[in-house]
Amino acid sequence: MVAYALRRLLGLVPVLFFVSFVTFGLIRLAPGDPVLIVLGGKKVDPATAAVLREQFGLVGDPFSQYIAWLGRALSGDLGESFRLRQDVVSLIVDRLPLTLELIGLSMLIAIAVGVPLGVLQAHRRNSVIDYAGSLLALIGLSAPVYFSAIVGVLVFAVWLGWVPAFGAGSDPLDQLHHLLLPAAALALGTIALTSRMTRSAMIEALTSDYIEAARAKGLPERTILVKHALRNALIPVVTVTSLQVGFLLVGSVLVETTLGLGGLGSLITDAIQNRDYPVIQATVLLLTVAFSILNLATDLVYGVIDPRIRLG
Amino acid sequence: MTAAPVAIRRGGLFRSVRRSPLARNRAAVGGLIILLPIVIGTVAPWLLASFDPNAQDLSQSLRFPSAEHFLGTDKLGRDVWSRIVFGAQPTLLGAVVVVVISGLVGVPLGLVAGYYGGKVDALIMRVLDALLAFPALLLAILVVATFGRGLGTVVVALGVIYVPAMARLIRSVTLVQRTLTYVDAGRALGFSDGRILFRHILPNLVAAVVVQSTIDLAYAILDIAALSFLGLGQQPPDPDWGSMLADGRAYLLQNAWPALSAGFAIMLAVISFNLVGDGLRSQLDPRERER
Repeated sequence: MVAYALRRLLGLVPVLFFVSFVTFGLIRLAPGDPVLIVLGGKKVDPATAAVLREQFGLVGDPFSQYIAWLGRALSGDLGESFRLRQDVVSLIVDRLPLTLELIGLSMLIAIAVGVPLGVLQAHRRNSVIDYAGSLLALIGLSAPVYFSAIVGVLVFAVWLGWVPAFGAGSDPLDQLHHLLLPAAALALGTIALTSRMTRSAMIEALTSDYIEAARAKGLPERTILVKHALRNALIPVVTVTSLQVGFLLVGSVLVETTLGLGGLGSLITDAIQNRDYPVIQATVLLLTVAFSILNLATDLVYGVIDPRIRLG
Repeated sequence: MTAAPVAIRRGGLFRSVRRSPLARNRAAVGGLIILLPIVIGTVAPWLLASFDPNAQDLSQSLRFPSAEHFLGTDKLGRDVWSRIVFGAQPTLLGAVVVVVISGLVGVPLGLVAGYYGGKVDALIMRVLDALLAFPALLLAILVVATFGRGLGTVVVALGVIYVPAMARLIRSVTLVQRTLTYVDAGRALGFSDGRILFRHILPNLVAAVVVQSTIDLAYAILDIAALSFLGLGQQPPDPDWGSMLADGRAYLLQNAWPALSAGFAIMLAVISFNLVGDGLRSQLDPRERER
């Protein structure tokens, strides 16, 4: 198990080199001089531009630039944002908590709604509840996350006035209040997947022999549902739901941009719009690392929950 | 295979369609019904729309729905319904091209990887896995920001990004087909690998490709709309659902109709492909059919 995890982690290393190289190459292929973009299109004398270019590490051929960037990155220096003139690492540290809070809250909502919904649907199969749940899941899977966010603002902030429409709040509790709507919008897709998974896993579990045995023993229905069926049905559910963190991460980019939240997601889109090389490079790499590690973690979690699965 | 012509002779085409398994799947039928106006909007938008989608009339800015303007007008006084109808084309056609690109590249790659195995397989899958390491939408944003905004770039970028999923699926199905007797028979008869792959194995993969493509269409619509929502896709003034939603957000509080119309258009299109995809899967996938 440990050996397997280590081998997978090692396998990640070349992938990350590939990702950083592709990102580096891509942003440098883009037309337009970042120095001129940073200066806002103003006329600059060549001497100033040259100084800036030197400062930004934009001299020499792209490949040696990449090697230089890589050397600094490996020692923990991800450079300075061209536009915000701030250290990229501290920029990310500033922005990350909001995104993590958003994703964590989303995950919580998704599990708190999705799992009970799926259990209920499986328990009352082909009932009105079952069909309503399936319809909700279909909508959750099909609604673009930025549209859910906009509808959410319109209904819950503007018409009902339950939650604030924009911004991220100041103190932690206020922030939670502000993030409720974005997190719920982000959670819709995951709720859909979680409830679908729970439903089909529960239906399969409920038809198995050990449930028959539990019924024959005269156990109460609730015990059968929760302690016997759900516990076995939970493996695929946990796997798929934890995989969703990666997709929530990507979805958060859209939600943050839509609702004007200053997290990691809007940092990325701003950086891409403004050709802020060091920020793009660092954030894309960070998201890719997170995405890959999450995939690995999912496989490992799977192995822990179900001892029948031998990783090797 | 042989039953269908008999059915047509006896009860006519309509009856045989109505009796086909897909037609008995109510969800899939619902999906096809939603899809119909979207397809009409794509191939012949002038049949459904009464206004030029780009015609401005500033005296009619942000009107609410009326008999004349079915869904009201936007900031520039353009008819929202007509823009929704004409906006179907870039999104739907774009999604089809995305899926076609991913199929044209992904199917041969998956076939070759699955059939030959060994080093060829390892090499192909290593490259595709590296591509999968990127979160898809992020890579698309990056590529489009690099090579220039516009629907063309968006479609090509997404097409390439969708290749790994298609190739993996085809590879896994090919791995099974490779072990079957008809492949051995083909080899014994001295057929070339190319002939076995494309004339014998490929036809057996059609079901898998069709199901995957339909589901991919739903994802492609979502991704195209997301990129154009971010201002990277179809450029103004031409109508497009994603950019309409982004525009409508600015005056959401004065008149929510333009934004909501565009959002529902995207959602309905995605729902229809998801429904049809699920229906096809339950008919074509042998594992699902047993249930």
